[in-house]
Amino acid sequence: MSALTAGTFPEAAVRERARVGAAAAFPAVADYGRALFGAPSAEPTGDELDAARLVPPVFVPERLEKLIDLAREPLHGDVELGTEVGGFTSPLPLYLSAFGSTQVASADLGQAASAQAGALGVPMVIGENVVPVNGYGRLDGGGGRSLLGRISAYARAVPDGVGGVVVQQSTEDADAEVWNLVYSDPSARPLLDSGRLGFELKVGQGAKPGLGGLTVVDAADADRLSGQFAVEHVFGAGSGRALRCASPGTFTEEILRQQIRLMRNNFPRARVWVKLPPGRDVAVAAAVAWEAGADAVTVDGAEGGSGWAPTSFLSGVGLPLAECLRRIAGPAGCLLASGRVWEGSRAAKCLAAGARAVGLGRAALIAVDEDPVAGLTRLVECLSLELRLLISALGKYRVSALTPDDLWSPTGWAVPARAAVGTVTG
Amino acid sequence: MDTTSAADAATPRPATTLPGSPREHLSSPTTRAVLRLQHTVLDAAREHLGGAGFTELLPPIIGPVTDPGARGAKQVDVDYYGHRYKLMTSAILYKQASLTAFDRIFCIAPNVRLEPLETSSTSRHLAEFHQIDVEIAHASRDDAMAVAEGLVAHVLRRVVERSAGELEVLGRDPDAFADLLSGEPFERRTHTAAVADLHGLGHDQNPDAEIDWAGEAVLSAKSSRPFFLTDYPKGSRGFYDKENPARPGRLLNFDLLAPEGYGELCSGSEREHEYGTIIARMRETGENPAKYGWYLEMVRAGIPGSAGFGIGLERLTRYIAGLESVWQASAYPKVPGVVSP
Repeated sequence: MSALTAGTFPEAAVRERARVGAAAAFPAVADYGRALFGAPSAEPTGDELDAARLVPPVFVPERLEKLIDLAREPLHGDVELGTEVGGFTSPLPLYLSAFGSTQVASADLGQAASAQAGALGVPMVIGENVVPVNGYGRLDGGGGRSLLGRISAYARAVPDGVGGVVVQQSTEDADAEVWNLVYSDPSARPLLDSGRLGFELKVGQGAKPGLGGLTVVDAADADRLSGQFAVEHVFGAGSGRALRCASPGTFTEEILRQQIRLMRNNFPRARVWVKLPPGRDVAVAAAVAWEAGADAVTVDGAEGGSGWAPTSFLSGVGLPLAECLRRIAGPAGCLLASGRVWEGSRAAKCLAAGARAVGLGRAALIAVDEDPVAGLTRLVECLSLELRLLISALGKYRVSALTPDDLWSPTGWAVPARAAVGTVTG
Repeated sequence: MDTTSAADAATPRPATTLPGSPREHLSSPTTRAVLRLQHTVLDAAREHLGGAGFTELLPPIIGPVTDPGARGAKQVDVDYYGHRYKLMTSAILYKQASLTAFDRIFCIAPNVRLEPLETSSTSRHLAEFHQIDVEIAHASRDDAMAVAEGLVAHVLRRVVERSAGELEVLGRDPDAFADLLSGEPFERRTHTAAVADLHGLGHDQNPDAEIDWAGEAVLSAKSSRPFFLTDYPKGSRGFYDKENPARPGRLLNFDLLAPEGYGELCSGSEREHEYGTIIARMRETGENPAKYGWYLEMVRAGIPGSAGFGIGLERLTRYIAGLESVWQASAYPKVPGVVSP
């Protein structure tokens, strides 16, 4: 365990799950038979997904179907969690999100997370900053922390037929040609040949919609990077540190559409993912992406992200994930959602609101920080059990069967008419 | 009679052999005949273009930026006194810039592209190759296609006249070029029509993308002389191919395909040359305009509208010589992914 902290995240609960796994889905077993339990007194929450509840029905026709299928009463263990995630087969409706543009994500935690995600068979996104910070790992000796080191750690662990690695690229690292490198690299070939390589176009991110990547660099790096990035000395001359700012990139409907088509043209054997920020026109952008052939659209809610961002953005910019999901209602393709997901209830709510799978970002990072060998595996084990319990309680036995009817919100979960491509909501 | 079925051609013929040692390769009678034939091709190209008022320029080998339009291929970085330079993947940016010196230019340009490994089995990709690059100021796509057609016909005429001995060594029947040299214009077909043809043949071609290699081979195998494919969709080519104002989403560009299954010989287009349009097209192709500083400065100050093309020299040689693999048309071949001198 390192000095990694996540003060704005349920860090202690995630660490507990990383240590004890599925047992953390329940109150302490030592209290069984002695303590009285019940719903906790309602705590006001600003998060609409947290405030929403999953609402099992009394009548459960899909359970009857399952009962007929099994010739016995179904249980939560009969829930099938396997699904297709952005063109990959995944045993769980989960994927590993890219870790943010911080030194946090650059440490060996990335490699530990890669190996565990691979063993779990869930898709994994590798962040756009890995190459500029840790190198390719081909001639530059970046070793396991490099991009190719992360890919290799995943590929060594992943079982046949499941999972996939998705490599992110943003406007600035078009210069580094990350996708071209991976697509032509021998070490990525087994994934490519088995249809398990993808590329994610990073249009934006949850923590700072409208801004590009921000990292704090030391003085030496500031000089080196000043040719490519804006470097601002906001921390004072004596701090020895500076702020490196990347641009968010300029997008219009046509730019997004054509970038996706070019990805499909240039990398015909790779899956194409698009990561959107929680912008007010997120539904239009998602529709453009699917129409242009994206295999998945990832929406990062404003509560997402592990990276460095101005506090004004963390507290007051961007749509919450719940509102993103509401605006995209009835997605025309594979929708992936991320933003503060770490346990089954929030994951199930996202799935009910239209997402095909949910991304683990900070939760995964904390889990591997707690235990680099099995922390993520245990966290996912607990989350999977919760998903099975919740989905079966809703009288359903496939993740794709969840619908907004399974959700109740104090403010309602009204679904607006879907915005047509070419219009801007908000 | 061409007995290649569509199904056979749809599977790129694997290179059954890879280059031997440099000594074996260079001293083989086949290689010698091919390289002499290639010499005739270059002579004829220079003769034809020089006679048509083109000035030959020697293109740069490294620069701060190069053509990003190579499908999935990695560029090679060069440490230029601490600045990241690139080996040229094509001369396109310099071709446009050079029109501020002369209205009609050509070069025999070396290119390096670290192609995806899957191209090692297409028989038609090299990581290091040359192009006969042509650019014409104030010209339309039709003008450029006419020059390309005239150039290929002239080269073939000279090869038949001057290289009969080499063709014989290679077992290549000069009658294979009779249709090409008949004086009939090369056929033109749109990308849309080609996609429809391929779908009709059961080939799963993405309508928004380049014709894939297997699809090209299918189309090429059905023809007895070179033919043009035109009007590729935006999103399949670099930012410099001009979008057709009359057909948004379609480019004023073309490929020239060789017959007999040999596939693409040449790509060309009318060029974008307006500053604002180029910036927007750069973004549409995922590029960061900041790295194109010198080029955009020139464009902003004004470069002529133009059209041009690049013919792959080794591919043209392969077609003329009737070779199984394009590497046979290089003295020091670099097959993608294969470590070789």
